[in-house]
Amino acid sequence: MRLFLLALRSLRREWRLPELRTLAASLVLAVVALGVVATLATRIERGMLAGAAELIGGDLGVSSPQALPAAFAAQAARHRLALSRGASFPSVAFSHGQSQLLDVQASDAAYPLRGTLELRGANGNAYNGHAPASGSVYLDHRALVALGLKVGDRVQLGGRDLAVAAELLRQPDGGELFALAPRAIMALADAEQAGLLGVGSRARHRLLAAGAPDAVRGWRTWLESAALPQGAQLITPEQTQERMRSAFDRASAFLRLTALLSALLAGVAIALAAQRYARRKANEVALLRALGTPRRRVLGLLLGTLGALALPAAALGLLLALALAQGAWLFASGLFAGTPTTLPLGPAFAAAAMGIAVLAGFALPPLARLAEVPPVAVFRESMTRRVRRFDALYLVPALVALALIASQSGSARLAGILAASLAGVAAVAALLAAALLWLARRIAPGAHPALRLGLAALARRRGTSLVQATALSLGLVALLLLAVVAPALLEGWRRELPADTPNWFVLNLQDDQRAGFEQTLARIGGGQLNMLPLAVGKLTAINGTPIDRLHFADERAKDWADRQLRLSWADALPPANQVVAGRWAGPRPAQAEVSIDTMWRDMFALKVGDTMRFDVGEGTLEAKVGSIRKVDWNSFRVNFFLLLDPAHAGELPHTWIASFYLPRGHAAALAQLSRDFGNLSLIDVDSLLDRVREIVDRVSLAVRWVLGFSLIAGALVLAASLAASAAERRHEAALLRTLGARRNQLRAAAACEFALLGLIAGLTAALGAAGTGWWMGRAVFRIDGFVPPLWPLALAAFGAALVVMLLGLAGTRKVTRTSPMRLLREG
Amino acid sequence: MSDPSRPLLEARDVSKSVRGPEGRLDILDGVGLAVGAGESFAIVGASGSGKTTLLGLLAGLDTPSAGSIRLDGHALEQMDEEARADVRRRLVGFVFQSFHLLPALTAEENVMLPLELEGRSDARARARAALEAVGLSARRRHYPAQLSGGEQQRVAIARAFVHGPRLLFADEPTGNLDQRTGHHVADLLFGLNHDHRTTLVLVTHDPHLAARCTRRVELEQGRVLTGAAA
Repeated sequence: MRLFLLALRSLRREWRLPELRTLAASLVLAVVALGVVATLATRIERGMLAGAAELIGGDLGVSSPQALPAAFAAQAARHRLALSRGASFPSVAFSHGQSQLLDVQASDAAYPLRGTLELRGANGNAYNGHAPASGSVYLDHRALVALGLKVGDRVQLGGRDLAVAAELLRQPDGGELFALAPRAIMALADAEQAGLLGVGSRARHRLLAAGAPDAVRGWRTWLESAALPQGAQLITPEQTQERMRSAFDRASAFLRLTALLSALLAGVAIALAAQRYARRKANEVALLRALGTPRRRVLGLLLGTLGALALPAAALGLLLALALAQGAWLFASGLFAGTPTTLPLGPAFAAAAMGIAVLAGFALPPLARLAEVPPVAVFRESMTRRVRRFDALYLVPALVALALIASQSGSARLAGILAASLAGVAAVAALLAAALLWLARRIAPGAHPALRLGLAALARRRGTSLVQATALSLGLVALLLLAVVAPALLEGWRRELPADTPNWFVLNLQDDQRAGFEQTLARIGGGQLNMLPLAVGKLTAINGTPIDRLHFADERAKDWADRQLRLSWADALPPANQVVAGRWAGPRPAQAEVSIDTMWRDMFALKVGDTMRFDVGEGTLEAKVGSIRKVDWNSFRVNFFLLLDPAHAGELPHTWIASFYLPRGHAAALAQLSRDFGNLSLIDVDSLLDRVREIVDRVSLAVRWVLGFSLIAGALVLAASLAASAAERRHEAALLRTLGARRNQLRAAAACEFALLGLIAGLTAALGAAGTGWWMGRAVFRIDGFVPPLWPLALAAFGAALVVMLLGLAGTRKVTRTSPMRLLREG
Repeated sequence: MSDPSRPLLEARDVSKSVRGPEGRLDILDGVGLAVGAGESFAIVGASGSGKTTLLGLLAGLDTPSAGSIRLDGHALEQMDEEARADVRRRLVGFVFQSFHLLPALTAEENVMLPLELEGRSDARARARAALEAVGLSARRRHYPAQLSGGEQQRVAIARAFVHGPRLLFADEPTGNLDQRTGHHVADLLFGLNHDHRTTLVLVTHDPHLAARCTRRVELEQGRVLTGAAA
């Protein structure tokens, strides 16, 4: 306790020291940057999950081929969650002597718990509703057309006579974007009474729940520990649609990256300030040691001072982070619409803890070494200046940085790239600086006097110069990544979804309708039309062995083997597809070939050269696996797991699937298209596109918020690196002034020195940011063909050199005015 | 510029006051002295008597509150800091009690500093010659931390005369050295004074050192106690 009081007194006295203030400011900034981003990220993630919940109709669900145990629902009820039970199965509907296979979903009246079920009544008006009451059914447009029905008619489904209560326009569904069969929603009670869900049925049972986030988490934890029935799986918002999940992943990576870079910047400033503080304390420590203070007590005093500084600074950072995160939410509530209103406190507290860890990691090594200053150093100052060439303690900040990167990046790949890049930048900066110092010794004698003095000044402070160049480079690379590369990456992401990305898909287009459809679409202002053939078949054998005699480790395989499959064919490899094994067949291979997606390769353990037999309509096609493709399912294009060669598949019975772009507000024209081609099924993917765009916008906003803190952190790094050499500079300036140096000479020398430092830092940082950006664009954000903005980076590098020079000059203005009398006063 | 009949350094009625927490503090009060070319001149006195302040004013490191100082005909009190820096660079050399060598530079590079400031291309050769003159040519690549106190002061002396100044100011040049080393350093300073006719002005507590000077002045509470005594 006495030691802590002593530490408090020491802190109060030393508060005027700039390095202590830099330490405190850096810690506040680290906590604010990490805290704001983590809080915003948590909110955005919650908002995104809430959006995704709309896509699955609830916050969490479980589906199973068998009836779900009653305990599942009971447990959810215990967590006070709202529940909806349902099942989906194929069934044939009859009307007016016509029949049609439907994808039927049977649900209780609570469905959907989240999102909207859009319906159209007999009067033609659209409205939102819930699952139908017993005795009625909703049919989608295709089902109505196929059965020759309209709203208000009656239909036979599962042996029951049901009234068509409305046309099904859109439903929240975590299933596939394109269902093959027309869809229907009926009351669960009707399906149960009709015996459609009994043992032996092909029904998949589903239980959806919604409620408070904590309650949902509680139920999820219970479900994950419970024994799920065979083939059962959780339905989570995170795993809704592949393309949405990928957007979530990218968004999280972006947010984490920005927070991390700001925290690392603050870490660099902390490290520099701590070094400076340690050096300043060396004499005091030597005196304490000479007066008989034990080493342990000295260390305790130093740690106490650091703690007394860290706790209030971390608390201030925490409060500021919460206030700013709340401010961001209030000022940009439009972008955060749908996110929970409660401010999450956990992330900001975690940020405060991390900030203290950063301070400890970066500041402890120099302070711990300080305790080892020998008492004899009071007699000889130079002894306190002795620096070990290699000090294992200096690995601590590196390890803290690595731990921070690993814990915050949320992705081993992102962490690896960032750590490797920063290490590379540090190494290149140090090497460049060392090379410049070496060169300085050689070229200085013949150089312009100002440059010679500047070079000599750099060379004189060899150690400080290396640290300054490295710290400035690290600071700048973080800034450039945030200010130049991240927006470019976001822009690249946005470009993947240009304004005219196909927002409509068409199913069931017949051969003889193609030309007419194309003309009508052009007339109503549609574009980007892309048509592909679509055949529906079943996989019947692999390498000659019937599929029902094969066993696969992957559970999904059985499911797919039972399903009707979509097959297509194309001359050339479609965009967003990449062959990873084998060779693309081309239009006319000698033998029928199929190209499979990597997921199929994994599910069925297939390889190039295997054969697959498909039954399509009346015919059979035996095709050799010619290539394996990696498909970008984010591309919002029509993609297929299985692509056949056109020469052998062209004659299979098929329809066409098309995608096109139609600007919003063309509802009337679309209705006309729908009337002209009554058999077509039109699917609107605008809502999905909107959601992805919304995520990009939210992430951009969060990145902008963080950028401000990063700039402040960058300025702190510069200030700390200047402060690191300020005392040396003052002493040197006084000596040079005594020896007759003119003020202009000192100024010009300082300008040269800082310009050189800035150039090294700027160039290294620009190269580092370009390399890291390129690497991340490919490996983490998977943005095809991403090239970092080289010109802006080059400009930023020179700009940085200029800023470093000007700020350096401004910072040394006082130094050049140092009175030469100072030396005489110092003795 | 220089007139052989006039003293090289002359102070007339020089006073220096500063503002402290307790009001005005007079450090020097009406000090007058004159030092001829080639002389050695000691300023002695107790701690706080104003010796160092006077040395700073005489060398043009600071300006007096009143009075005038002429250094080789230059009226220092009328010049701005830039002009005084110019005078110092051309005419003056310094030796300090704490040596004030730059720790990151070798002995040779430290000696080169005044020449580099003048933009001389023969800086290295002259620095080597100066180091040889103080008997340290074998140590020219050593850093200050690798040299003893006496050696560091000899490097400082080499730096002080390498550019051929007319005046050498020394502030307690032997204050940080043992008696034998101090004696050796003093021999060097007086040798330079004699061989190069470099005027030597030194501040010291050491009566033996003061006694070796041709003249000395004693200060007490900012005033000259005994002036122009031989």
